[in-house]
Amino acid sequence: MDKPDKSRRSFLKILPLGVLAGVIASIGGAAFRFLRPRIFAATDAWLDVASVSELTGAQPLTRKIVAEHVAGWAITTEEHNVFVLPAKNNQVLSTICPHEGCEVVWEQARNRFSCPCHESYFSVDGARISGPSPRGLDPLPMRVQDGKLQVQYVSKEQATQA
Amino acid sequence: MTPAQDTGLRAWIQTTGGIAGILLLVQFVTGILLAFYYVPSVDHAHTTVSYIEKVVSSGSWLRSLHHYGSQWLSVFAFIHVIRLFLDRAYTSNRVQWIAAILLFGLVMAAGGTGYSLPWDARAFFSTRVAEGLMGGLPFVGGNVRLWLLGGSDISTLTLSRFFALHVLLIPALIAATIVWRVFGLNILKLFGPRHVFAGGVVFLALALWCWKHPAPLGPSVAEASAEYLPRPGSQFLWLYQSLKYIPGGLGSITGVVLPGIVLAVLIFLPWLKRARLIGGTLLGAGVVVILLMTTASYLSDRRDQNTRKQLSRQAAEEDAWRRQPFEPARIALATTAATTTASAPVLYIKWCANCHGEHGEGARQGRVNFPPLLDVAAKPRRTVDDIVRLLKDPAAYDLQPPMRSFSNKITEQQMREIAEWIVKLKK
Repeated sequence: MDKPDKSRRSFLKILPLGVLAGVIASIGGAAFRFLRPRIFAATDAWLDVASVSELTGAQPLTRKIVAEHVAGWAITTEEHNVFVLPAKNNQVLSTICPHEGCEVVWEQARNRFSCPCHESYFSVDGARISGPSPRGLDPLPMRVQDGKLQVQYVSKEQATQA
Repeated sequence: MTPAQDTGLRAWIQTTGGIAGILLLVQFVTGILLAFYYVPSVDHAHTTVSYIEKVVSSGSWLRSLHHYGSQWLSVFAFIHVIRLFLDRAYTSNRVQWIAAILLFGLVMAAGGTGYSLPWDARAFFSTRVAEGLMGGLPFVGGNVRLWLLGGSDISTLTLSRFFALHVLLIPALIAATIVWRVFGLNILKLFGPRHVFAGGVVFLALALWCWKHPAPLGPSVAEASAEYLPRPGSQFLWLYQSLKYIPGGLGSITGVVLPGIVLAVLIFLPWLKRARLIGGTLLGAGVVVILLMTTASYLSDRRDQNTRKQLSRQAAEEDAWRRQPFEPARIALATTAATTTASAPVLYIKWCANCHGEHGEGARQGRVNFPPLLDVAAKPRRTVDDIVRLLKDPAAYDLQPPMRSFSNKITEQQMREIAEWIVKLKK
């Protein structure tokens, strides 16, 4: 008499826990898939920077590129600055600081690039001088097509993975 | 829930509260999940919901759980009320009875506001009906309708209001009802009069500070200049300054991992030996680091002349931007169909397209026929001037309701703009 009653009681204790676990697992599993972040496909489009003929001088030049980003439900068109080094065979540098991703600017007066966030400094060719940045400014893939300098946009994520 | 009186069928009948509780939990969980993608704005609401349906993994199932779950919840919440009534809970357990009624009402309110959020045709008409129901209330109807819509017509403000009601206010009331039902907390007992007084004084100080200092807001990121110097809120200045001194990836260790460990140790302080010494060391070190770094951050911004100049320039820019008049967003909700005519003026879409069609093709709703506007200029008394006069006073042109006067909605110039578009419409 005692034994079946006991097992029945322990069954009644486990059953609700099992059911609850089922509810949580089914929604929890779906929730994990639902919230899983997506890796945005890298755009391999070649974006115009400028005509090669206007890229002259010893100073780095700041130019704008317009890139289209597919991010979830939106396709956004964003402007990004890039640096062109006419003195270094028109090498193109990303303006994204390799430290925390702030936008680096060219300081004409002090002949250096500087990061406005945490005071990382880079020389005229993009090499790191001082500050918390682990390395110099990242070069972007570039080519010349019909007299135009073109680059591929590289996000901070892609840059740090490289 | 109620103490189990019996076994067998009677015990199962008493599970209505548990069923409603689980369904309510499902609504909370799935609702929170949907909010991770949903955007309550007329230009993005439908896009984000379709994204959930078509792209996000498990999105369709989770949204369906939320949609049909709300209907099942309403049914079971109602059955629960009936069950409690049959058990005479209104005499034996007043709190349980009142809470059940409140929950049922709140669940219905949540369902009613939730219908509007996907902003599809179903949502639009549900919002129209809610508008009509509220507007028809005796005495207060006009005001209730205005307050619910956030304006004199259904707009993006309405969507925001339904969103806030659906995901913040009503769930908070549901949670409060459940807390009250389960714990019977008397909130006033938590705070003594001294606490309330001290809190009130601090609130007064904060209120006066904020009266003089609006929260910072500058031009949008797209308009920001490359020289922009970002500065965090003062509670994060220590972290910001410390990142300058620490090379590369180590910032995450000192800025996130170390403080996390410190907090974890402080949580387990009650179980540690020498709790006083360990806690005092950690808190003391924290105070020193925060004070040092915050001071260093202030000083470095003052010392460097360029930084000082740029920061004050930014402050001036924000100030100037703040003084500029507000610029509304331009959102074209009309679907661009393949027509040879120029696209309809925004105001036509807003005021006329519902009845006369987006391209003037006319429409039929129930028994009411809305005449097409194509080739309308070929009819007598339908020049641009006529149409402008007609928009002011339709009765003068023998038109019957639901065509109404738009004198108090749009200006004569805007009427002319619409009329000039309409007379060009051809079949």
